[in-house]
Amino acid sequence: MPAGRTPSTSRASDGAGSAARPRLLLLIPTTTYRTEDFVEAALRLGVDLVIASDEPSTLAEAFPDHLLALPFADPAAAAAAMRGYAERRPLDAVVPVDDATVVAGAAIAEALGLRANPVAAARATRNKLAMRRRLAEAGVPGPAFAAVRLDEDPEGAAARARYPCVLKPLVLSASRGVIRADDPPAFVAAVRRIAAILAEPEVAALGEGTDTLLVEDFVPGAEVALEGLLEDGRLETLAIFDKPDPLDGPYFEETIYVTPSRLPAAAQAAVRGVTADAARALGLRHGPLHAELRWSAAGGPAVIEIAARSIGGLCSRTLAFGTGLTLEEIILAQALGRPTGSLVRERRAAGVMMIPIPRGGVLEDVKGLEAARAVPGIEDVTITMHKGQTVVPLPEGSRYLGFIFSRAETPAEAEAALRDAHRRLAFTIR
Amino acid sequence: MADVLDLKERVQHLIVTMINPAVAAHGGFVTLVDVDDTRVYLEMGGGCQGCGAADVTLRAGIERLIRDEVPEVTDIVDVTDHASGANPFYQPGK
Repeated sequence: MPAGRTPSTSRASDGAGSAARPRLLLLIPTTTYRTEDFVEAALRLGVDLVIASDEPSTLAEAFPDHLLALPFADPAAAAAAMRGYAERRPLDAVVPVDDATVVAGAAIAEALGLRANPVAAARATRNKLAMRRRLAEAGVPGPAFAAVRLDEDPEGAAARARYPCVLKPLVLSASRGVIRADDPPAFVAAVRRIAAILAEPEVAALGEGTDTLLVEDFVPGAEVALEGLLEDGRLETLAIFDKPDPLDGPYFEETIYVTPSRLPAAAQAAVRGVTADAARALGLRHGPLHAELRWSAAGGPAVIEIAARSIGGLCSRTLAFGTGLTLEEIILAQALGRPTGSLVRERRAAGVMMIPIPRGGVLEDVKGLEAARAVPGIEDVTITMHKGQTVVPLPEGSRYLGFIFSRAETPAEAEAALRDAHRRLAFTIR
Repeated sequence: MADVLDLKERVQHLIVTMINPAVAAHGGFVTLVDVDDTRVYLEMGGGCQGCGAADVTLRAGIERLIRDEVPEVTDIVDVTDHASGANPFYQPGK
């Protein structure tokens, strides 16, 4: 399926509600990139689609049974609200589309008796320290780690740390606030910088986990991402992505993902095995899984993070399965208990670049789009930030300028096309 | 062949009387660009253009309204250039 999805079209009849059709609840934060791909997939599957967001829809009054507002930050309240709803309108499946909704999704599913990850497992994926502890207890390979409270003396923590190390907030995504430190002064500076991020109102509102940092040993090696689907605890690997740009810090901005992986077959098998071990250790049972691991010939695979959701951003558009199913269609079909069909990815290589933000400022202009789209192998270039928007690079920021998508015969060609297209883009940021 | 003029007027009436008053709460508006037989082309502007929730508004809201009120409509095409939205109400993030 081509990566570009505009103009967006759908059959009007696809959106209809019907008692005869299964009813699916999608949990969609208002700020996620994942809305379009999940909504379009749901409509293609012909379900009676109910959407809950953290803010009320402008059209909620017209469709009070289909456009809901739920407090995602309070999973028990969200579950109670949906228990009442389901007494009137039973639900067949609930699918949280990204990190911000996985715990609420698990709580709702549990309240309604629907198949999903246990709440405790979902919670563990949302707190990097809890995750690290569970993985370590189960013997899953990963970096040595320690917790540092923000109210303790950072110089003392710096003196205890091993170098190089990586400091991380417990609750943020997209490498936001993740900083490498090679010595005590860099450690102290990183603590202060992350503390400032955690003090921002929208982050502080997260509450739990914003008073502590995770400090991990830096793990050298190539980084890969595994996209998988859990069925009764069994992991089906859908794709392994290489991340060919070195992620050595001091910040960890993700740029290029390419699949299939060019790691040796034995290394990929080890990555799959360790990811399955990690999912088991966390208690994950059902639905999508996105894992990030480091791999080196000397150390083998090491789990960096596991998330109980699918790949973020617009990156899922690199994936097509069987007869052309999207990742979102597979996720929704599984949640509904329908056969998912072939989970074999298409034969060709595919890649995506999350266009990095070169510096902070106001985005004034983007040039070179047509030239970038004309590069052989490029399927689409999508700019997701708008002109006039303040753009913030890592570690404070969490967004990308946009996405470039490629398909080619080999992973090397898919990667080269992304780099070529990116060179042709010019962003004016003042 | 549908009565395109009648269909266009009915969709336009729906936009003016029901859809735009609702999306105006977020600084948005919807414009009927064209009707081709039973296919309707819409453009979203203001706070809707580039909004992270635009697809929810369109697919789960506007589309349902049009289907309910003008059942002859078979396809709805969003021709909005969302990347050029200057003031989206919700900015997509990861």
